[in-house]
Amino acid sequence: MTAVSTIHAIALCARQELVLAYRSRWTQTFAVAFAVLALAVAVSGYVLSGGSGVQDFSRTAASLVQLVILLVPLTALLLGVLTLASDRGNAELLFSQPVSRAAILLGRVLGLYQALISAQAIGFGAAGLVIYSQAGEDGVTGFLVVIAAAFVLTGVCLGLAAVIAAGNIGRRRSRALAVALVVWLVLVVLADLAALGAASLLRSGAASRLLITAAIVNPVGAVRTAALLLIDGTAAFGSASLALLRFSGGPLRAGLLLAASLVLWLVLPFWAASRRLSRADI
Amino acid sequence: MRVAAFLAGMLVAASAAAQDHAVTPGNLEGRPGAESASPLQARLDAAPRGARVLVDAGTYRGDLVIERPVHLVGVGRPVLEGSGSGSVVRIRAADVTIEGFDVDGLGHGDLGRDTSGIHVAAPRATVKDCRVKRALFGVYLREAPGSTVQGTVIEGVPGLEPGEKGSGIHVWNTDGFTLTDNRIYEARDGLYIQSSPHGFVARNVASHVRYGLHYMFSDDNVFEDNRFEYAAAGSAIMYSNRIRFRRNQFLHNRGFASVGLLFKACDDVVAEDNLIADNARGIFLEGSNRDVFRRNIIAESDVAIVLYDSCARIRFEGNSFVANLSPLMLVGRRTDTVVAGNYWSENRELDLDGDGFADRPYRLSSVFDHMRGNLTAADLFAQGLAATALGAAETAFPVLTAITVEDSRPLARPPALPLVPRPERQTRSARLAGLALSLGLVAVGGAAAAAARGSRRR
Repeated sequence: MTAVSTIHAIALCARQELVLAYRSRWTQTFAVAFAVLALAVAVSGYVLSGGSGVQDFSRTAASLVQLVILLVPLTALLLGVLTLASDRGNAELLFSQPVSRAAILLGRVLGLYQALISAQAIGFGAAGLVIYSQAGEDGVTGFLVVIAAAFVLTGVCLGLAAVIAAGNIGRRRSRALAVALVVWLVLVVLADLAALGAASLLRSGAASRLLITAAIVNPVGAVRTAALLLIDGTAAFGSASLALLRFSGGPLRAGLLLAASLVLWLVLPFWAASRRLSRADI
Repeated sequence: MRVAAFLAGMLVAASAAAQDHAVTPGNLEGRPGAESASPLQARLDAAPRGARVLVDAGTYRGDLVIERPVHLVGVGRPVLEGSGSGSVVRIRAADVTIEGFDVDGLGHGDLGRDTSGIHVAAPRATVKDCRVKRALFGVYLREAPGSTVQGTVIEGVPGLEPGEKGSGIHVWNTDGFTLTDNRIYEARDGLYIQSSPHGFVARNVASHVRYGLHYMFSDDNVFEDNRFEYAAAGSAIMYSNRIRFRRNQFLHNRGFASVGLLFKACDDVVAEDNLIADNARGIFLEGSNRDVFRRNIIAESDVAIVLYDSCARIRFEGNSFVANLSPLMLVGRRTDTVVAGNYWSENRELDLDGDGFADRPYRLSSVFDHMRGNLTAADLFAQGLAATALGAAETAFPVLTAITVEDSRPLARPPALPLVPRPERQTRSARLAGLALSLGLVAVGGAAAAAARGSRRR
């Protein structure tokens, strides 16, 4: 099979997935829910400030980052698993086509990714209209950072969803959903809690290193750390920002570490999923 | 733990203290040489004691030393432009008044010799309505008791690092001084006061400096109605006791280690009716005793109070804490701070008996805040869900409580609050760009959805 036809097959799968995703009530619900929540953050940021715009954009952006950190992994994992862990007949039919399994998986993930980020784009756009139609704000950089954070996190979580789905072949979909929920809880809360708990038992030097490593290694932590640093600069975490920079050896290397972590989280799950899929007996 | 706690404090307090501990003035500059003397020098030397010397508009190049008690008045804002080799105006006689001049230091000079726009080394000088620019130090009061600086605008040398320039108004070893209605920009510290008791500082503005107001070893000082903003610390008060201050504003100090108000080893301070808003940290207290904070407003900080356990018998009474991300960060293991009768905007407790106080104490300390107080890196998780989860766990399982700090009688309703002045912002273009970006996002997302829907019909 030539490269061109592989690309064509990937595009076809992506297109199919995109259409299916837009038909899905889940995607539509997510788009609406995301838009409503982002709007709520934008409006309350304005209302809480008494209409004087005292709460600057960095606070609104920080709240939007929270929204992204919670909602985006949850929906990407759940929708990803719902879609990719498809029922038996469908999978048999699809994978019997003369296209590699990795290509099919890549196509489907890309299609789903496109559906999710365009849903998020609508949500962010609606929020942005509220934010920027109010009294003067800081530049658009912070807003762009939040959007980029959401897009990266969507990719990471779709990859994880692909791994969960690939490990679920021949089993019921509800099991995959349960696994996805557990993964979400670990990413968003439990990993950080475990790191904080362990740090409280260690001496300060080791504890600092552990916490900084945990913030970089956990993809949700890496996105949060990177986004807040980009929006607020070193003011984001007070002197902890400096501890982070000292640990990693300068702003450039800190950025590279965070980026490397996120790139690994984008690539490795997909690689693991396609490997697992290629060995699975469908 | 020690290392991390150290780091937090070090950054703001110790680094500055180490630098300033040894601020001793350089050798006193005498008469400028003939080649660098001002054309006004001969007139001044000939003036009788107590004379009023009027100087017409124009530019006078060279340095000027005043060795007789005269009243020097600029008419039509004459410019005194320094030779570039030392202080532009050197006041060496008691009871000199200088007013109405623009002083230009040309950005040259020697920090070690205290090169200033106006350098005073005599008692009872008055600097009034002057404008000093491009001088390493703006106005320097060296052993000048009873001196006054008022209505003077000081703009430091642009582009220099804080370590390469001096303070806006620098006071050294001067018992009794008055600094009022001055405005200072781009200096190292706005007002720096060392070993100088019994001063009065009022209605000044210091902006875009390292510290707005900085006391070292200066007891019994009073400052009122000043504004300190866009600095590493609005005010840093170190090794100075019995400082009293009212109605000042400490705003927009937002750097990574920035503080609205910093105290290091200051006893018996009284702070009343100040506005401390939009700072990374509101009040920072280390090694201080018996300080009292009354009716201040601490708002919109990441952390309202950072308190080291080296402090004792601090009192917070009747203050308003509004929209701070976290009320208290306690560094160390114990505190005897008294917190009573304050308003906390995050407090959801009811006042069912209608006595104006919430029915239960308000707890300021949390396991997570305690942890970050002692472990700097924990700040990385401050905005995560884990911190919130720890807080919830603390409420559900009271055994987790580390050290309890609570307001025993929190106010149920906010007192009248003034509007917090808004920070400087970018305007129109950013808004238009943001609106365009938002519209674009909606359009792109909508188009993708529409395209997919279209192919459904096909």
